[in-house]
Amino acid sequence: MPLLYPLLLSSALFGIGLYGVLARRNAVLMLLGVELMLNAVNLNLVAFDAWFADALHTGQVLTLFTIALAAAEIGLGLAIILALFRAFRTVDVDEVGA
Amino acid sequence: MTRIARSHWIYVALTAALALAAAIWAIPKLTERNWFGYFGESGTGGAPLPSLSPDLFLFPESAQIVLLAVGIGLLVQIYSTAYLGRHPRYRSYALIIILFLVAMMAVVGTTNLWVLLVGWEAMGLCSYFLIGHEWQTAEARAGAAKAFLMTRVADLGLVLAILVIGETYGTYDIFGAQIAASDGHRNSTAIGLLILIAVVGKSAQFPLHSWLPDAMPGPTPITALIHAATMVAAGVYLAARLFFLYADSEIVLTAMAVIAGITMLMGAVFALVQTDLKRALAWSTVSQLAFMFAAIAASDPEAGTDHLISHGVFKALLFLGCGCLMHAVGSSALSAMGGLRGAMPVTFWTMTAGFAALAGVVPTVGFFTKDSVLHAIEHAADGDGGLAVGTSYALLVVALLTSVLTAAYATRLWLKAFFGPAPVDRTAHEAPRTMTGPLIVLAVAVFAVSIGQPFHLGVGALSTLLAAVGIGVVVLLWRRGSTLDWAPAPLAAELGLDRPFSRWIPVVVRPTARVVVDLDQDAVDVYPRSSAWAAHLGSRALGLVQSRNVQQYATVLAAGVVVLVLIGVVAR
Repeated sequence: MPLLYPLLLSSALFGIGLYGVLARRNAVLMLLGVELMLNAVNLNLVAFDAWFADALHTGQVLTLFTIALAAAEIGLGLAIILALFRAFRTVDVDEVGA
Repeated sequence: MTRIARSHWIYVALTAALALAAAIWAIPKLTERNWFGYFGESGTGGAPLPSLSPDLFLFPESAQIVLLAVGIGLLVQIYSTAYLGRHPRYRSYALIIILFLVAMMAVVGTTNLWVLLVGWEAMGLCSYFLIGHEWQTAEARAGAAKAFLMTRVADLGLVLAILVIGETYGTYDIFGAQIAASDGHRNSTAIGLLILIAVVGKSAQFPLHSWLPDAMPGPTPITALIHAATMVAAGVYLAARLFFLYADSEIVLTAMAVIAGITMLMGAVFALVQTDLKRALAWSTVSQLAFMFAAIAASDPEAGTDHLISHGVFKALLFLGCGCLMHAVGSSALSAMGGLRGAMPVTFWTMTAGFAALAGVVPTVGFFTKDSVLHAIEHAADGDGGLAVGTSYALLVVALLTSVLTAAYATRLWLKAFFGPAPVDRTAHEAPRTMTGPLIVLAVAVFAVSIGQPFHLGVGALSTLLAAVGIGVVVLLWRRGSTLDWAPAPLAAELGLDRPFSRWIPVVVRPTARVVVDLDQDAVDVYPRSSAWAAHLGSRALGLVQSRNVQQYATVLAAGVVVLVLIGVVAR
């Protein structure tokens, strides 16, 4: 498989994630955007690992680390959003910030 | 109240300590045999740059002036405890007197022209405060402002004179200038005229004379201090001290002689027609100061300062006595006085001594020093000195005429205050001892200071004759029942000599000020206003960026990354 396809997919994922983070006003959806960007990076790592045929598979190992990190991050992020909701009865970032 | 209140002792003690220090400093210098011609030990010439180095040096004559200043200052302070002790602002009053004395000592004691200027300005400030002591009255405020503004004009002359001296002789030290000037005088006319402006204002000479009579709303002890020992004395001292700088300039000496001649005659005439004792004494001071300047113009500064000392003693006596009279009758108008001889014996006898000294009666000190002044002018008329013979003769005639008038007005004031019928509903009483004590001291000094004064037989006989004529005429008129009130309208209005100031100066100054204000608003203010405007616009533009919206920041960040990557790709 040529490298181009996974790279195109990951670029699309990253762009969608970035758009979510920048354009959405819902905090949960912004967090989802962040997750999408992270997974775009993961896809890149795996694709380049396969492309270079690395004997140690450092790309795949790093991807596992990133997934673990993303899980921790999403837990923390959801906890913050929960606290936010309890305080303001809304998760709209514009209303919270106003 | 015959004793000094406990809370007032501290100020008297402070003044006494100052007087003691000054006496320890000055008394040994009295016997040194050098006058203003002395160059001093410091042959290097002192401070070359504008500096405030406290180089102190006293000549016998300046030592006398210091002793006079602190002596009268101490007497005034004692006197004031009774005269003004219950005033709510007594404390600041007493402290400003001390500052006044220190400033005078700085002027007289220093050899550094800048230190002299500082003392000179401090005196102007102190006299402003003290003349305006009763600032709740409009009169006092006006008098204080007038004194300050008029002496400020003169101060400008002094500043310029100091700068010209520094430029000419390369030093701001009086000794240094003296050494440099001994190799040849330079710019003496310019320096002399500037010094003349300075002393004309400070010593209330024509045409800047009118502040002194208008300073009469000030407390009477202050009037005594200003007229006798400090403010106006500084002008005479400066003219004498820096005499060597302009001694060879006939223009300066002639100008000084003309000013002195006009002022002495004018002051005496105005003193003769006044209906107010204090104001009459003020005009008499103006006239007597002109006598001192006449002596300096006749190239005898020593006679000028001698007369300064003697005038200081008897004029302080007269003003303090005037204060006692005001204390007794509640007014300084001559019409409120009269017949006070019996009620106030101490004031009567001491003021008699003072008036005798003013009139120049033997053997008071006023006689001897006036004698010296007349002798100096006569000497100049012989052709010794920088003054032209004709000018000297004119000055001599004016001075002799002034002597007659002086004797006449002194007698008039004496008669009107102490003799004649008393107003019916009045219960005058002698002043308390803290007020009469200084009078007695000064009355003794009027005779004591005349010991050792030079005596010139011919001039002495002539001036005694003239004084006798003046006294005789007035006494004769009084005996014939004249009230001695003669005030033709122009003289009562003092010839309207203030009108030029009140009319012409605003005519010039107001449009100038308007132009300056317009310039300031339309031209100068453009710079601060435009910079404020630019800063405002800039902050508005920057404020657009700071939206408090994190997502917007992130968008800008992302766009920046995209742009950087594109640049990187294209550049490769």
